[in-house]
Amino acid sequence: MSTLDTHAGHHDEGSYLSGPPGIMAKIWQWATTVDHKKIGVMYLFAVLFMFFVGGTAALLVRYELIDPMRDVITQSVNADGDLVETTTSTGENLRDLFSGLGVAGDLTGTQIYNRAFTLHGAVMVFMFIVPSIPASLGNFFLPVMLGAKDVAFPRLNLLSWYIYLFGSAFGILSILMGGVETGWTFYTPYSTTTDADHWRVVLMVTAAFILGFSSILTGLNFVVTVHKLRAPGMGWFDMPLFIWAIYATSIIQVLATPVIGITLLLLIFERIMNIGIFDPAMGGDPVLYQHFFWFYSHPVVYVMILPAMGIISELLAIHARKHIFGYRAIAFSSLGIAGVSFLVWGHHIFTAMGELAAILFSGLTFLVAIPTAIKVFNWIATLYKGSIVLNTPMCYGLMFLFTFSIGGLTGLPLATLATDLHLHDSYYVVAHFHYVMMGGTVIAFMGGIHHWWPKMFGKMYNEPGALIGMGLVFIGFNVTFFTQFFLGTQGMPRRYANYVDEFQTLHQISTYGSWILGLGFLVHLAVFVHSLIAGEKAPANPWGGLTLEWECESPPIEHNFHHEPIVKHGPYDFETTVPPHWDPKDYPIHPDAGKAAH
Amino acid sequence: MSTMTDTNPTDVPQSILKSPKHWRNRIAGHHWRSGDEEFDAAKLGMWLFLTTEVLLFAGIFCGYAVFRMMYPEAWANGSHYLDWRFGAANTAVLLLSSWTAANAVRCAQLDKQFWLRVNIIVTIACAALFIFIKLKFEYMVKLGQGKAPGTFFSYPHAHDAHEPLWWSLYYIGTGIHALHVVIGAALFGVVLYYAKRYQAYGPTQYTLVENAALYWHLVDLVWIFLFPLLYLIH
Amino acid sequence: MMMPTLATAQVSGLEKLIFGPKLPASESAAWADGLFMMITWFSVFFFVVLMGLMFYFMIKYRRREGVPTEPSPHHNTLLEVFWTVVPSSSLLVMFVLGFQGYTQQLVSPSNAMELRIEGNKWNWLATYPNGAKSPEFQPLSKKETQSADGMSSSVTRGKDYPIFYLPENTAVKFRMNSQDVIHSFWIPEFRVKRDVIPNRYTTYGIQTPKLTAADTYIHQDTGQKMIGRDMWVFCAEYCGDEHSRMAATIRIVPQDYFDQKMEEWGVVGLPWEEGEKIYKSMCASCHQINGTKLVGPPWNESSDGSGQYGWGYPASLADGTTVERDPNYYRESILDPNAKIVNGYAPQMQSYQGQLDEDDINNIIAYIQTLSTVEPNPHLDAEGSESESEAGNQAEEAAGSES
Repeated sequence: MSTLDTHAGHHDEGSYLSGPPGIMAKIWQWATTVDHKKIGVMYLFAVLFMFFVGGTAALLVRYELIDPMRDVITQSVNADGDLVETTTSTGENLRDLFSGLGVAGDLTGTQIYNRAFTLHGAVMVFMFIVPSIPASLGNFFLPVMLGAKDVAFPRLNLLSWYIYLFGSAFGILSILMGGVETGWTFYTPYSTTTDADHWRVVLMVTAAFILGFSSILTGLNFVVTVHKLRAPGMGWFDMPLFIWAIYATSIIQVLATPVIGITLLLLIFERIMNIGIFDPAMGGDPVLYQHFFWFYSHPVVYVMILPAMGIISELLAIHARKHIFGYRAIAFSSLGIAGVSFLVWGHHIFTAMGELAAILFSGLTFLVAIPTAIKVFNWIATLYKGSIVLNTPMCYGLMFLFTFSIGGLTGLPLATLATDLHLHDSYYVVAHFHYVMMGGTVIAFMGGIHHWWPKMFGKMYNEPGALIGMGLVFIGFNVTFFTQFFLGTQGMPRRYANYVDEFQTLHQISTYGSWILGLGFLVHLAVFVHSLIAGEKAPANPWGGLTLEWECESPPIEHNFHHEPIVKHGPYDFETTVPPHWDPKDYPIHPDAGKAAH
Repeated sequence: MSTMTDTNPTDVPQSILKSPKHWRNRIAGHHWRSGDEEFDAAKLGMWLFLTTEVLLFAGIFCGYAVFRMMYPEAWANGSHYLDWRFGAANTAVLLLSSWTAANAVRCAQLDKQFWLRVNIIVTIACAALFIFIKLKFEYMVKLGQGKAPGTFFSYPHAHDAHEPLWWSLYYIGTGIHALHVVIGAALFGVVLYYAKRYQAYGPTQYTLVENAALYWHLVDLVWIFLFPLLYLIH
Repeated sequence: MMMPTLATAQVSGLEKLIFGPKLPASESAAWADGLFMMITWFSVFFFVVLMGLMFYFMIKYRRREGVPTEPSPHHNTLLEVFWTVVPSSSLLVMFVLGFQGYTQQLVSPSNAMELRIEGNKWNWLATYPNGAKSPEFQPLSKKETQSADGMSSSVTRGKDYPIFYLPENTAVKFRMNSQDVIHSFWIPEFRVKRDVIPNRYTTYGIQTPKLTAADTYIHQDTGQKMIGRDMWVFCAEYCGDEHSRMAATIRIVPQDYFDQKMEEWGVVGLPWEEGEKIYKSMCASCHQINGTKLVGPPWNESSDGSGQYGWGYPASLADGTTVERDPNYYRESILDPNAKIVNGYAPQMQSYQGQLDEDDINNIIAYIQTLSTVEPNPHLDAEGSESESEAGNQAEEAAGSES
């Protein structure tokens, strides 16, 4: 296998989406591709599918909680307010699904509920949110924004993708065999003793273990790409902030994931060979598992949120046509967050650890708040004197500021020891991390998808439709999760299928919100499908961006650029630079623009 | 390295020298500006990968430390059960192999194809010897006496209730390390195949030899920590 | 921040909205609430400032046709230092107050009354200093009461939760450990929880409040007016199937009433009565006495598609054999639950070896016997066990005949 790259440029190439004729040939081409763009697109659809699976489970969880005592599906309330057994056909199907098509036997309502929330957590964390932005948008845009033709190790990249599929297959197999009910955290000794006769838990843990490798290899690939493949003229501080964020993310992935690897491996050994490391009966320490687990799983929270922060930096700057405020502060705060993230895992287990350790971890936890706050201040300052257009990506960007600020600020009482003792493992925590993970990562991801959709697929999306979807998501999200703060402070514990009557009103509001939220995402799905089928052809630079991806065609050619780009301006010099493919009727630029740069 | 995308169907030449896999004929992947950059990148990637390996073992060492503090008796007894001579022999074997692995890189840089192969073969042989000593004189014997991990522990003369935990950590630590030895040997096997079949490594192209050697040094390094912790400290 | 006195006096409307109608029950709880409110106000301030600016910029600088952006500085060191230092120092304040409150919340005076808490899947069990265990129970939800009354017989998952009595205005220390997996003992009113871990003790202390006139309630059985305050205890660490039903009630009562209860409970009752107490506190989350199938088979005389249940009836096992449900069968099922698995059930039960002594096992078996019409205790009618007040008199005779 060799290639001779004697072409000075790639003038004769078509879009990366155009493949050989024939459906089988196309499938083969995509399945064996080492093109980072194709791999990114495959990741994009895979993670969106996982989001759909996890989201369905979430709706089921919310549906169950509409009534304090009713069991999922099998029972409901009749007109007199009594509980009666009703088995609808949909309900039967769902019950069959969760009973593993008969494999798991007859499950009670709470058992189904426990499987549903574990499925939601495991799928969303391991298969959706960790790979979401880095593996899809990161894979597609990291090399392009650096001006490279591909990531450093294209074949390794393909391998990561197949490892992701392989790992997910284990997860899905586990679900089809009846699912697990350990919670996504697999806390010992529950996870090592429950469901002892079956392989389901082992399969799910193995899935997480394998997915870890995918994460490590992607991160490794990206770090090397950033170090070695920047276009001529692009210094470290000429990189778009999205790249900085992905870079910081990748470092965390490389450093944290191996620890979960060994932890899950020990868990598997514990289950199949009873080695006793986490088994209190043999002198093992179940809290040690929690330390190991969170040593990974806390940094990985930043694997989820840092790329989202990177996207927001891009969205706000471009759609406000404004140089990002405090570039270096944002770039360094990404690295700062990555660094501090390794020191704060203990705040997940305040109620299980000794006093001294708890105080230490509480203090360290507050440190994370500082770089995060700096970022938010910088983003808001970026809007000052901008030219703000309220299209879907920008609306998502602003919505991120709203929801993420709530998520961040509500983290403070959780870092404060005296208040955490009450809020720990309550719905307050659930609301907090959904405000960060969903109000942060998912919202930024949606913004990023809309922002780069024209570039990825060469089609515009329907703006009014997407705005309606955005509005529904905003309303639905806040109705669903804001109520949960109150549930938590009032004493509702997490992971409860049944609860005391006094919480019912808030639970009902939350459930109604989840329906609005679901509807919002369905609208987005419709907009995406419509765009792929009948979308208008996208111009090369619909938003007037200055980062290198906007110099490519929409969609980019096979090798991204016709000529190797040479970077002459910063990524956010909107005031002095004429954007590539600029069309004066789209937006005005400053009269001095272009004079200084060329 | 080359890419997978473009293959030349005519390039299966009879002579090794004309093979595109021969080190003189190999060129950088299409997204690299030069072979040097590609080499640097591959090495950086390998170092990052080694970091992940260190962290993987860090988990085991951490578990070792925690339980050592909790059950010092069991840990002291544990090391008495192990014969330091086998550990020392294996240390010597690994140190030798690390030296030959480093030599292999040097030979590739100097285009000494024969000595390159010899060094790799010695390295692989050392790996095999290591595994042999481990299995034959340690695992088999210990398991035969009932010194097994966790609930399989059935050694009748245990002094401390937590000795099964010690054995769990012993088997996990050395077992995962042994797995790495096997993977490293397999990696050198690949290098040997390409070196023999195509003379694929030479002064301008020895990425895989270098990376395999780096990996091997890590395997060695981990053992350097495992050996005193398990065999020597009481 | 000032240390608030008992918060009942000065609860703001917002605090009520946030923490619900339940007031903080101790001073340290009120203190934690105060800290929470302080952080909340801090957060609200920043949120309003940030969002205010954002919406203001959004409107003021919205894109207008033909109007380019005005240049403005790309950074401002002074401003950036300012907005780093100011929030950081407020974080320091929160941290210090937080750990101050934390030490207060967990520590208990040395003369505190010690209540031993044991968690197992899925019950809380409290042992008082005199060795008594609480025999009183109440349901989790009103709907559960309804179904337990038999109003809708198809849903009979009602379960009773133990009531732990505590005297008012007393320092109490919980010494907790778990029999199986990790649980967490949370009393929302005291704003504290702590994990309950197998193979080690964890502790925390509370100071029970003084009762006031507002704490009058109507007793569920007798209909009398009583003084006392009920609080839920929840398990906050996920522990499996019935995690959401692992609850208990803390009932704060006047000291003399508490003493009276202690005296009552110290007295050992009849075998089947003792058995019923054990049933309610340890077995009821998996075994029902109204024919419902939970994790484990029901104990009373009943039948469903997969077989007949109850004392004296043969049990069809998963391995295809059948076995008579006699005392030996029950004994084995308690001590070695996985030896005989009833067809249609998973081997989920853990052994109670070490947790139940011979007397306890005898008492449970005596209780199971009362639930069946096959060789019943001669002086008990079939439903004797279900209405406690009636059964009381008959039970004495029943016990007499048994011993």
